[in-house]
Amino acid sequence: MSDPVIALRAVKKSYQDVPILDIDQLELPAGIYWLQGENGAGKTTCMKVMAGLIPFKGEILLNGNVSSREHPVQFRRLINYAEAEPLYPSFLTGRDLLELYLHTKGGNREEILDIGEKLGVDIFVNNPVSSYSSGMLKKLSLLLAFTGNPALILLDEPLITIDTRALTVLYDLIRTYSAKGVSFCITSHQPLDAEELTVTGTLKVAHKNITLN
Amino acid sequence: MRTTSAILSKIFTRRFYIDNTGFFLVLFYVLFGIVNGANLVNYHKALMLGFLGNYSFLFPVLLLWTVYAVKCTGFVLKTFQLQGYDFLFSTMGSIEKPARIRIWFLLHTGIYMPVLVYVGIALLVAIRQHYYIPAVLIVILNIANCIWPLTLYERKLAQPDIIFFTGHLQRWINRHFTKPPVLFFLYELFTNFPRRIVSTKLVSAAILWLTFLVMTRGEYFDLRGLQIGVMVSVLAHMQLMIHHRAFDDTYLNFMENLPVSLFTHYIRMIGVYFIMFLPEMIIITVNAYTKTSVMGLITVFCTALSLLILFRSMLFFPKMNPEIHVRYIMLTSFIVLFMILGHYEWPAILLLQAASAIIFFRKYRSYEPYIEPES
Repeated sequence: MSDPVIALRAVKKSYQDVPILDIDQLELPAGIYWLQGENGAGKTTCMKVMAGLIPFKGEILLNGNVSSREHPVQFRRLINYAEAEPLYPSFLTGRDLLELYLHTKGGNREEILDIGEKLGVDIFVNNPVSSYSSGMLKKLSLLLAFTGNPALILLDEPLITIDTRALTVLYDLIRTYSAKGVSFCITSHQPLDAEELTVTGTLKVAHKNITLN
Repeated sequence: MRTTSAILSKIFTRRFYIDNTGFFLVLFYVLFGIVNGANLVNYHKALMLGFLGNYSFLFPVLLLWTVYAVKCTGFVLKTFQLQGYDFLFSTMGSIEKPARIRIWFLLHTGIYMPVLVYVGIALLVAIRQHYYIPAVLIVILNIANCIWPLTLYERKLAQPDIIFFTGHLQRWINRHFTKPPVLFFLYELFTNFPRRIVSTKLVSAAILWLTFLVMTRGEYFDLRGLQIGVMVSVLAHMQLMIHHRAFDDTYLNFMENLPVSLFTHYIRMIGVYFIMFLPEMIIITVNAYTKTSVMGLITVFCTALSLLILFRSMLFFPKMNPEIHVRYIMLTSFIVLFMILGHYEWPAILLLQAASAIIFFRKYRSYEPYIEPES
């Protein structure tokens, strides 16, 4: 059996001594996962922990051998994250962010610019993010999540605020990238369209733990 | 029924005077509080005759009035960017242009009024004393100060995304230049908190100016004296460091997902403070290059940067609130002060560098903003 794309080992996360996550062991083979949970269950915290955005106790392994502790840079190269409500400095343009991601994460520039066009980001990419609507910000953060050569892409509530055309593009992107071997972990309170995506498994966040169904 | 201009006056003019109450209190104290009441009229008349009869005094006065006009303009433009004031774009944009220009004029002159009142009195004095050319200069400048901001207000209405540079320049820069992360915080200061960075830099420059003045008056130059001045100048940057941490916490969390090494993050932090302290380094070089060696200048710059970097690194302790931060800064400053006085500058620099690197490399990845529990 192949290595799991992500493995969480004794992962604990607390906010101000209040435990939020306490995951003894979780291993996910490659695929598309729907992360479910009630409001406040810890879905976003779990994603931020996986993406290396916030500190935690324990260890996460990507592709079986890239450790969040021992290989922090390589780890971040393999995992991308699109926030539910992205927040960027007001004076930055979409282009500033895109260049920053392309310089650090790498990947195929032409392919990303092509996705940008499909999502309609190219129209406003030279404007400061302060002038963006929530939908435009969301599209930009989704575009950034596809930069580089990730093994796993975490999408936090990707279905909200974007228009139906962008939603179709997003489903298409997930299918295409999944076929290339990229795994996805998607949180959504709305059910994922079964005709558009075949979900490998459902993850449930409850009682500080994550269980795979 | 309230008129449009009355409602807009409440939004702009009244808010301006309320927000700047402290500024006006200080101004009134300086203008009217420090002089004996019996001599007040003579004092102001002498002041006016002073700048009416001397161009080298008149130009700084004109500059001060223009700075106030810039402050007024900045306030109006910033109001458009405040949360909850988006409706101004649609409402003001719906008014016919001539009427809107009239409203802009009323609003702007409303907040520029303190200068206009003072100018009116100065013009009366000028005409009585036959200072016609200065009077004409004053009239031209103040008419200009009442008109040029209106074009900026109009442009802001048409191009809401313009927040810093002039429109075409900003758009050109956005298309051709990518902002490097080392400049993010400086952009934040100049776009959203210009008063904070400008006031810090003015205070810092004043400290250095005073340092050089004291040494010039005493007809000596001591590198240690300059370093002490630089230390005080560094202390003036404390609030910017607290702001820097808040900015990183709020807006740059996304960067933690980027595959960037700790060393690169550290270099970025050093870069931010190097660029921030660049104006002071230029001031020091201009004033001291004939009095000390290149090595002396490097020692001073390294002391300043090492202090700045350590004080910023201290903020990677999550529970380091501004009050505790000040205590550690003072403690560190006293230790460094005595090391400088004892000619141990380089050991002090090495210790500061080592301490900041240790704190940064140990704390950066585990840092998380701390929310003070409610008592």
